[in-house]
Amino acid sequence: PVTAGSIVVPYGHVIGNEKWRGSELAQRLQGKVRLIFEDDLGLVDFHLPNRTCILLISEADLVAGDEFKRRLVRFRNASSLRGIVIVEKTQISDQYYLGVQKLVVLELGMVLLPVANQGEASQLIIQLVSFCVREQSRDRGANPFLGRQRARPAEPALLQAVQRVPGVGRAKALLLLQRFGSIHRLCNAAVQELEQVVGQTVAQQIYTF
Amino acid sequence: CRDPGEHGPSLCILADSREICSGPEVLSCLRAVHGLRVQVCSLGTSDYIVSNRLAVDRVLQSELQSPGNRNKLSQRLQHLQGVFERICVIVETDRVRPGETSRCFQRTQYYDGVLSALVQAGIRILFSSCQEETAALLKELALLEHRKDAAIQVPTEPEGHRRDLLSFYLSIPNLSYGAALNLCHSFGSITAVANSSVPALAAGARLSRPQAEELQRFLRHDFDLQLLPQPLPAKGK
Repeated sequence: PVTAGSIVVPYGHVIGNEKWRGSELAQRLQGKVRLIFEDDLGLVDFHLPNRTCILLISEADLVAGDEFKRRLVRFRNASSLRGIVIVEKTQISDQYYLGVQKLVVLELGMVLLPVANQGEASQLIIQLVSFCVREQSRDRGANPFLGRQRARPAEPALLQAVQRVPGVGRAKALLLLQRFGSIHRLCNAAVQELEQVVGQTVAQQIYTF
Repeated sequence: CRDPGEHGPSLCILADSREICSGPEVLSCLRAVHGLRVQVCSLGTSDYIVSNRLAVDRVLQSELQSPGNRNKLSQRLQHLQGVFERICVIVETDRVRPGETSRCFQRTQYYDGVLSALVQAGIRILFSSCQEETAALLKELALLEHRKDAAIQVPTEPEGHRRDLLSFYLSIPNLSYGAALNLCHSFGSITAVANSSVPALAAGARLSRPQAEELQRFLRHDFDLQLLPQPLPAKGK
C-alpha cells in the first residue's frame, strides 16, 4: 500500500494522511498551509509540493521497536519521491537517534530532521512548504545555499598560479603570461623561447618545474 | 573490497588547521578511537575532506540559529558546491561550559527556514550532540565513501618537488585539496597535466567530467591583461 508518486500537490498545499485528522499537528498546520486529508496515502504522512514526502516517526514508534525501519525501507524501495523523515527526538527517544540517523541518512540516503514534539514538527513543515512556494515564485536565486556559478575572469588566478613556479614573482609572471598566453603553452615552450622573456637561470627553472 | 578497519591502509581524512582550535576532540577521537589517518592542512574551503568528492562542514547549532551568520554560511557553502560533488553539514549541539546551566534550545522559525534551504539545496545534514559523536559520524562517512570507491588513497604529504607542484595546483580555482593531491600523484609534471585530455584529467585527479573540463579550460585560458582588475592589487593579496 505505497502510493508511489502520482499525487500532484498544488503549491502552498499539503496533503495529509487521514490518520492525522484532528491531531495537534494538523490543528497547528491549519490556517498556515492549506491542508487536505486523503485516505490512501499508505506509508506517507504528508505530501508536500515539489515531489517531497514527509514520514513522521514518533517517540512511541522509536520505543516500540523496529517496525518504523521496515516502513522507511519500504518507502525507499517503492518511491522515487524525495523523502524527509521527521523524528521526535525527546529525552526518552534520544538514545535511539544515532542509530536512526545512520539508517536514514547514511544507508537510505534520505533526509532526517529531529524535532522535540508535534508543535515543532508543524513549524518545520510550514517552513518546508513556504520554502517551496518562495522558490517557485522568486526563481532559483531564492536559496542562499544553492551554488551559483558566477563567471569570474580567470586572469587574477592565472597570475597567482604562475607565481607559484619557483623563481617567478609577479613581474616575471606577467611577462610570461603576456608572451605565452596560457599555462598550456607556457608548459610546452622551449628553453630558448623562455630565455627570450626571462634570464637563463629562471628559464631553466621554469622548464624543469 | 577490503575492510579498511581491519587490514590494508587505514582510512584518511583531511582536516582544516582551524579545527585544531575549534574541534580538538574531534581530531583526537578520529585518531585514537577510530584509528583514522588524519592529515591536518590548510584547506580553507571546508572543515573536513572525507573523500575525493565529499566535503564536510561542522556547524554549531547556535550558528544556525542566528541570522547574523547567514551570509558567511551561505558564501561558504556556495563556494563548496563549486568545488565538491557532495557536501555534508554536521550540526553539533553547543557545548555547555562548566558552571553554566544547560541552555534551553529555543527553536526558531529562522532555524527551520535554514534547515529547509539546506535540504532543498541537496546538502546532507547530520546532527551530533558533541565532538565525540561528530568524529564517529565523520568515520561513518569515510567508510561509506570508501565502500563507494571514492576514498582518498594517495599520500597526503608530498615531499620535495611534489610539494611545489601541490602549491601550484592548489592555486587553481575550484580545485579541491584532494584533487590537487591526486594531480601530484598521478601526473609527473604540470606539462603532463596541461597536455592531458578531459577524460584523462578526470581519471587522474578523480574529478567529475564538468570539473575536469573546468580544469582544462583554466590551463588553456588565454591571458588577457585588460581583464586583470585595475589598479593591480598589492602583492601577496
